[in-house]
This record gives sequence, structure tokens and C-alpha cells, in this order.
Amino acid sequence: MVSSSPTADRAGVSSPARFSVERLLPYGMVAPAVLVAFAIAVVPLIYQIWLSFQDWYMLRQPQPVFGGLVNFVNLLHDGALWSAFARTWVWTIGTVLVEIAIAVPVALLLNRETAMARIASALILVPWVTPFIVVGFGWRFLLDSDVGALHLFLEAIGLAGNTSLLTDPLGALAAVTFISGWKGAPFMVIALLAALKSIPVELYEAAEADGAGPVARFWHITVPSVWNTIVMVGLVLGILAFYSFDLVWIMTKGGPQDATTIVGISIYKAVFLDLRPAYAAAISVVMLVGLFAASLLVLQLRRR
Amino acid sequence: MRGRGGTAILLDVLTGALLFLLLFPVIWIFLGSIKPDPDIMAANPWPSRVTFENYIAVFHKEGFLIALRNSLIVGLSAAIITTALAAPAAYSLSRFTYRGKAAVNLLILGTQTLPVVAVLVPIVVIVRNLGLTNTLTALIFTHLALGLPIAVWVLKGYIDAIPRDLEDAALVDGCGRFEVMLRVMLPLLKPALVAVGTFAFVLSWGEYLLALSLVSKSDVRTLPLALQSLFDPYQFSWGTVMAGGVVIALPAVVLFLVFRKQLVGGLLAGAVKG
Repeated sequence: MVSSSPTADRAGVSSPARFSVERLLPYGMVAPAVLVAFAIAVVPLIYQIWLSFQDWYMLRQPQPVFGGLVNFVNLLHDGALWSAFARTWVWTIGTVLVEIAIAVPVALLLNRETAMARIASALILVPWVTPFIVVGFGWRFLLDSDVGALHLFLEAIGLAGNTSLLTDPLGALAAVTFISGWKGAPFMVIALLAALKSIPVELYEAAEADGAGPVARFWHITVPSVWNTIVMVGLVLGILAFYSFDLVWIMTKGGPQDATTIVGISIYKAVFLDLRPAYAAAISVVMLVGLFAASLLVLQLRRR
Repeated sequence: MRGRGGTAILLDVLTGALLFLLLFPVIWIFLGSIKPDPDIMAANPWPSRVTFENYIAVFHKEGFLIALRNSLIVGLSAAIITTALAAPAAYSLSRFTYRGKAAVNLLILGTQTLPVVAVLVPIVVIVRNLGLTNTLTALIFTHLALGLPIAVWVLKGYIDAIPRDLEDAALVDGCGRFEVMLRVMLPLLKPALVAVGTFAFVLSWGEYLLALSLVSKSDVRTLPLALQSLFDPYQFSWGTVMAGGVVIALPAVVLFLVFRKQLVGGLLAGAVKG
């Protein structure tokens, strides 16, 4: 090792101090980010569990007092909430299915080296990065019963009457689920595109030489290669869908009646309309447990 | 060969058609913003004349400029703080090995997969107990959760790809650790820092649920809430709402597309590792 004398002096004189600084440095650098992550994720989660055991109904109980399992007992008897849970699963699975149905053909088309494919793989991201408030109002505009272009089209083909699809319970749920899948699909597209590009060309060439047609190549090479990506990204997008609020609140506020009330809406209403924060915390806790169990199940779908 | 060329063109046409269908709602929003009211009422697909009346109207709406200012303050603050916190954390996770590193990785990944709704109730109660309801401070701080984990992932990927030799050479030359970070790493990281800062800004700019839950006074509203308030039953106009929508969407879309290359890799890594 080449060591000029100043460097050697420096290392020699400050060795013990330097040693401990060097040891603490990595912690010091990561600490601020960890503190923030604690403050906005860990602390709220713990506080949420504590809240869920309080009795706190602001109209008659302005300060929280310990209530034991009172919220969870109420929750068991809350029929509307269980409907919302069931609806949330329909909405979540529907959203992910729409995402896959849009993303697979689009990703296959974009996995080519043409100028069109390159431009399209950038522009395809636009719905995904456009804020919910904008796409939500945009779709309301499209589905408006007076001026909506899409409404006129749906009316012409008999899918909508003279009132908007969003005023029909089943139509509203189908519409917001589709829109949610449409908005999330680009993320699945870019993930699939990355997976498709990493498949070695030799695999296809070898299969072609063995006489495999395009369909056989798709099922035996493409699908197995991207399967894990679909499962993992589907899981991430599914979690996001499960915890949705924005799109539904902006478009229907959970209505008509409760037709589009998913659990995110139930939680918001429990806090801000019913003024029962502790009950809302209990719903969140049950939701987290249910989602955790479902995630473990989905992970079993991975190919090993 | 000719057949292949023909197929390529056919597939390009199909790609273009599908892209148009998928972007149609966004295109419609934009067209709505430049159409005069009669065109909107008649559901004309193409504006009979291009107008900026809707944009003028939206900027004259009470509170829209204040909301624009608030969104800029919150977004820029969140972007700067996110970047300032993420850069040293990413460096630490990339360059050092130490006890507890796996736990830190898990915590950051966990924060990324944790949706806002899952912690909305405690956050609302905590913010209220701290007396920070209806303040931009509360929005800035909670918006850090949106971009910070992704920022750490993207920057860590960048630092991983920079050879250690550069730093080692500087260390041998007698630079201290901090000097090495400032003089060697920081210039190399600049494009990535700008990218993650921009992304944090974009996420904060469009954020709806936290703003809706933590803000009720009109002078601390951000743009998404201001757009919502345009649904005025007495003088409501779709054109104005669509123009407001374009004002909100345009910076988000343009900024994201500009930094797409830097961001997409990190986003996917976060998702697939999770």
C-alpha cells in the first residue's frame, strides 16, 4: 500500500475515534429515514391496535376509554360492513382481472422493436400517472347522462337506460371496478414488458426449430416465463385495490345506496360521518389481518 | 421478408388503435377543456372552435390560485425532504454491512406496501392530537410516506451500480468519508436525485385522501380539493372542471414521462422484491 506521510499520520493519530465514527456512520445516515418510516408507518399501526380496543363514539363519549372488545363485537353484528367486505373482494379480484386482461395483450404488442412500440410504451403510462381526482371526474363526464359521450354510446347499444350507469347499483360497481383496472393496468404492462424482454430469444428459436407453432410457444415459453411476474405484480396491485378509496369516493361516494361501498369507504365514513374513530380502527385491524392471510395464499400460486 | 414487414405494420396499427382506446378518457378530458359550452352540451367529439375560456374561468375561481400555491409548497417541501432523507439512507444500505440492515430494508419495503387507508385512522387522530389539523405541515409530513420508500430503492439501485473503486481512490488520496460523498458521489447521483425528487413531488401533487382527511379550511386546500369544490350546483360547468383537471394532470404526466427511465426500474424492483 502506498502511504504518503500525511495520510499515515492521520490514520495513526485518530484511529480509535475514527473507528467508532466509521461504525456509527451507516446508522447515522439511515436513521433519519428510519425515524420517518417509524413515525408514519410503525407508530400509527401500533396506535391503531390500541385505538381498536377503546370505546370512542364522539357523540356520547368525547374521550376514548378502554372498551375491551366492544368494537370487535359490534363489528361482528354489522351486516353492512360484512357486505362491504364481500364487495371489496369482488372489487379487488375484478380490478386485478381487468388489469391482467388489458396488460397481457398490450405488453405482447409493445414487446417489439418498432418506433410505434417505443412511443406507445411511454404513452401507455399516462392513465397510471394521472391523479385519481382527474380521471374520476373525467369518467363521470364520460358517463354523465346529459352530456357523456360514453353514456350516449352505452345507451345506443342498450347497456344503459336514460340515466347514467353510475346510478344503477350493479352498473356502478361494474363501472368503477373496470375504471380501477384500467387505471392500474399500465403498471402491469411495464412489469410484463420487463419480464418478456428477459426471455432469451434462443428459447423461441429452439422451439421453432422443434416445430412448435406460435400458440404452443406462447403457452410453453411465454406464459411460464412471466407467470411469477403476473402473480407478484397482481398481488401488489391487489393490495392497492383492496385499500382503495379515491376513485370510488370521487365517482360515487360509495353509492347508489351502498352498491360501491368498499371497506376503504366504510372506514372513512366511520371516522368522518359516524364519528366513531375507534370502530374505524377496529375495521382497519380486521382488514389488515384478512389481507395478510390472503397474501400468503396468493404467494402459493408462484411457480418454484 | 415482405410478409414479416406486413405483419409488423399490422401489429403497429393494432398497437396504435389499442393505445387510442386506452387513452381515450384522457384525450376526452383534454378536448373537454378546450371546447366551448355548446359543444359540451351537444356532446360534439371535436370542438367547433378552440377556446381558453375554461382555463380563464378555473383560474378565476375563488381559491384555485391559493390551492395551486399550497400544492406547490407541499409538493416541493415533500420532494426536498424525501430526497434529503433518502440519499444518505440509500448510501448506507448500499455501501455498508452492519447489524440491523435487513430490518431496515424490511421496514422501508413494508412502508412502501402499506396503503394510506390502512393507517388513515391513527394518522388523523395523531394529527388532531398534535393540533396540526388544517396545516400544510401535516400534509408535508404525511406525504413523505408516499415517495420515501421508492426514493430509497431507486437511489440504492443507482449507488449499487457505481463502482467502489472511485470512492476508494479518493479515500486513498486522503479525502474523508464526507468529502468522498460530497465530491464523488453527489455529482454522480445528481440525475437520480432529481428523478426521485420529481417523483415525490408528483405523488404529493395528486394526493387526495390525506388532504381530504386532514384539511377542511379553504385556505389550506390543495389542488385536488379545489377541483372537487368546482362542483358548484349553481354555476357548474364540465368545461371548467376538465380545464382544472388538465392543470393538475399536466405537470404530473410530463414530469413522470421525462424521468420515466430512472423511475420505472426502481418501482418494479420494489414491487417484485415485495
